[in-house]
Amino acid sequence: MSSYSELIKNFEKIRAYMREFYLYGFKSREDYSKKSARSYDDERRRMESWLGDHMSFVRTPEGKNMFISIDSRSIRHNPFYNAWKAKSFTDGDVTLHFILFDILHEPSVKRTVTELLREIDEKYLADFESPMMFDESTIRKKLKEYCDAGIVKMEKVGRKAYYHRAEGTDISELTDVLHFFSEAAPCGVIGSYILDKAETDSDTFVFKHHYITGAIDSGVLATIFAAMREKRIVSVSNLSRRRDMPRRNRIIPLRVLISVQNGRQHLLAYYPEFNSFQSYRIDYLSNVKLEEVTPRFDELRAQIDAMQGKMWGVSTKRNRWGVEKLEHVDFTVKVDDDEDYILRRLEREKRIGRVDRLDAHTYRFSAEVYDISEMIPWIRTFICRITEMNFTSPALEKQFKADLDAMYKMYGIGEEGENDIQ
Amino acid sequence: MIFSELYSAYYNAIASIISKIIDGEHSEKELQRIVSERAFGESVLTIMPSFKSEKWQLVHPDMTTPITHKPTMPLTNLQKQWLKAISLDPRIKLFGVDFLGLEDIEPLFTPADYHVYDKYGDGDDFEDDEYVRQFRVISEAIRQGTQIKFEMVNRNGKTMYIRCHPLRLEYSEKDDKFRLITAGWHSVSTVNLSKIKNCVHYAGQKPLDNYEWDKKQDILTVRVRDERNALERVMLHFAHFEKQAERLDKSTYLVRIKYDHSDEPEMVIRILSFGPLVEVIGSESFKRAVIEKLKKQKACNLR
Repeated sequence: MSSYSELIKNFEKIRAYMREFYLYGFKSREDYSKKSARSYDDERRRMESWLGDHMSFVRTPEGKNMFISIDSRSIRHNPFYNAWKAKSFTDGDVTLHFILFDILHEPSVKRTVTELLREIDEKYLADFESPMMFDESTIRKKLKEYCDAGIVKMEKVGRKAYYHRAEGTDISELTDVLHFFSEAAPCGVIGSYILDKAETDSDTFVFKHHYITGAIDSGVLATIFAAMREKRIVSVSNLSRRRDMPRRNRIIPLRVLISVQNGRQHLLAYYPEFNSFQSYRIDYLSNVKLEEVTPRFDELRAQIDAMQGKMWGVSTKRNRWGVEKLEHVDFTVKVDDDEDYILRRLEREKRIGRVDRLDAHTYRFSAEVYDISEMIPWIRTFICRITEMNFTSPALEKQFKADLDAMYKMYGIGEEGENDIQ
Repeated sequence: MIFSELYSAYYNAIASIISKIIDGEHSEKELQRIVSERAFGESVLTIMPSFKSEKWQLVHPDMTTPITHKPTMPLTNLQKQWLKAISLDPRIKLFGVDFLGLEDIEPLFTPADYHVYDKYGDGDDFEDDEYVRQFRVISEAIRQGTQIKFEMVNRNGKTMYIRCHPLRLEYSEKDDKFRLITAGWHSVSTVNLSKIKNCVHYAGQKPLDNYEWDKKQDILTVRVRDERNALERVMLHFAHFEKQAERLDKSTYLVRIKYDHSDEPEMVIRILSFGPLVEVIGSESFKRAVIEKLKKQKACNLR
């Protein structure tokens, strides 16, 4: 039986745990019965080790519930990045890494594998009680890894291969840039990796409305970006709320859709099998594999550029014959004399559609959209002033009004007359 | 590969330890302190013991090292690709930096590869020269710990002249705006950067205290009925707050969320957006605000 380590080999295993701890927090050990109890204990211990003070617990009749609770406004760096910095390695990996870069301490120093091996044995390991033994193939394999990562270069002189370190990049002026974009740009964990190497840290920025869980999907996101850069098809495993087992799909990734109001990230992709555009939750995707290059990428991306003007969120409605189904929505709000901010809200918060002034105190928003249901939470934020609405989907309009009635009932409004506005 | 030991906290801690030893530091206690700072909670149980047992043959048991240069590593292709990607972001103009040596690098992503679909449309103008100038004055003053002075027009249309210590710049991705958080200015502690005019360094000698206003925090308690995937939506939507959730029965949950009192109007409409699946239990004042809005809505006679 292997002993516990705070380092991990496979990120995917911890990804689901982290999301559930961060999002929910009402789950107790028993709720994780699908996995082994030991696995739960190990993952919890790792998270405590990486996330320190951000882990907390409450005692409930069902047991001790651990959860991650973070006010993201009060932190400078996304604590989830720590999980990405917990990759395991072998004793040989770490020993070889620091010795190789010590020998190749500047780009002008060039060595063959044989020279490196001799120097490692004689200069670095000889004084240890039981010196490690490396062979040429191990060193060659490690150097290939480093060449692929771009940190070591190989040059052929005649039949001999010489290795040297790559040129460095000056990051001394980038501390604020790295601090800001490691939180505010996609795959920010990579910026955090660079910041770890900087001499100084930055205190300049804090972040409001900052969703930090997306960090744990950075691996999937980086592969999707690579696929789009190379215009490739990918195969992905997609887990759905409606299915226990993930389904394998071949899709063409076209654009990542990011929400800064609910923290979700979706992939808008073309699904050739059904000639349709579909959105996939990135946190449900795993095992993304790059497949062949597709000649259709530019044409498909142009299509979604045109479609985005009819998308409120991430939904599209276009059948396999290319016929779109659009719905009409409009609603009217009343605005008092001192409520100019409502008009400003409508203008800045509408993503599509238009706002028309009907009279000095009435404005109407209208749009043609693929999916009205995505707009409903936004329309509800105008509760207290909605005077009229028209949806081409009668069921949704009826649901909206029924929900309002349910809210009145929930808070006892109008039940005994005393709460009614006269 | 994004998940690699090259970026690991352990490698960073080991690099720091070796650098310290090269600088002449051989105290184990001091080297343990580096482990605590640079790695994780339980790393002290692994890193120094691995040196002492010669599992990692980089440091001898007497805390000397055969390594002769302070460890450094060039940026990986992935790191360069990410830097190239952010060099294409419109917000990079705020920083006035050049990205040298990335000419032949392909960006990890371009602005066409992703779309933030729900940020507000009236974000700050990061291309405006005066905005950029003021941003740099303020960020420089934050770094140096010095004072600034500026003008702004208050709600009543009156120009105010302000001198303060800038502490931090707060960026909201939703608003796409920066706010300046200050100390030493007693009427307000946070101001939108776009409202600041004529901002310059204050070169005078007049002292100013560094008092930062504490933000009043409130707790919102809601009961969530888990229909239409409401629980997940609520937990995701409020994920950036300190919060706690508890299961009441099979389909009902109690969620407590800590928020800044000054954000209450925004919180009220965020709660309303969930409709009848989220019921406010407390505070009483929050509940009253929700009821007030619903009463007004009922009076609109929406049919």
